[in-house]
Amino acid sequence: MAAAAELGNVADLALEEAFPAGIRVLVIDDDRVSLKVVCIMLKKCGYEATQCSSGKEALEMLTQNEGEFDIVLTDVHMPDVDGFELLEKVGLGMDLPVVMLSEDSSRETVVKGINHGACDYLIKPVQIEELKKIAVHVLTWRNANSSIDPELIED
Amino acid sequence: MDLSLLQRTYSDLLSSLFTEGILNQQFTELQQLQDENNPGFVYEVVSLFFDDAGRLINELGSNLNQQVVDYKKIDAHVHQLKGSSASIGAQRIRNVCQGFRDYCEANDPQGCFSCMQQLNQEFLTFKSKLETLFKVEQQIVASGGSVPMIQ
Repeated sequence: MAAAAELGNVADLALEEAFPAGIRVLVIDDDRVSLKVVCIMLKKCGYEATQCSSGKEALEMLTQNEGEFDIVLTDVHMPDVDGFELLEKVGLGMDLPVVMLSEDSSRETVVKGINHGACDYLIKPVQIEELKKIAVHVLTWRNANSSIDPELIED
Repeated sequence: MDLSLLQRTYSDLLSSLFTEGILNQQFTELQQLQDENNPGFVYEVVSLFFDDAGRLINELGSNLNQQVVDYKKIDAHVHQLKGSSASIGAQRIRNVCQGFRDYCEANDPQGCFSCMQQLNQEFLTFKSKLETLFKVEQQIVASGGSVPMIQ
């Protein structure tokens, strides 16, 4: 894990360079009200936001349109395919950063999310300031997944 | 009606909604999200809430009236209502949902019924007051005035 100081610099750089114009976010939530609020906040931050109200549909979208999104923001508790299943299939299977979003702030759920590979876990109602930072996850994810040179890893 | 009177009415209404705890800071966040690119945003999202929450509350009512009460199903609905009310700043509704979830977890029918009643009440109050607020807002805009914002 990068030292906290290093992460700080990555964040600054990210916010300067790629912030966040053009970063394409897929937002998944079965609650249309929450979905609308989050999407408009994302647009205000400069992201391109696409709404989806079903985990199942989201999986189809992601499978059929690989490379169309840079990051996924998903609610945890959904009736068909829930946030954890998405985390598994998307985070691991498709190599996309996944941020979880929920009213559920219970320790077990948050820990479960992070342990299953979520980049971040935001508690609803989410503030626009927190959404600005998800751009950093896109960069950190790209850096982590592309720059690992096997030659450099010591035994 | 006189524009400044309309504006004063609006401000008073909005103020009282905050003082009574019907709305919280989250609602102000929504108002700040509204701009030239998203002119009717607050009205749209609150209207969406009226629809979806109304439906959820009806569902809840009928679920509670079943012979065998499915607390898990009820909890799932309340959880969703809690989330949507929180996202628009409907504080009192959100708080009732919190209590409701606790009673669901305890499989407590009386507690659930009591929360159901509170929920009905709070939703009716919320809907009626916000509809009034929007009406006054529309009148202000129609008169060519600007809508006062609470800081």
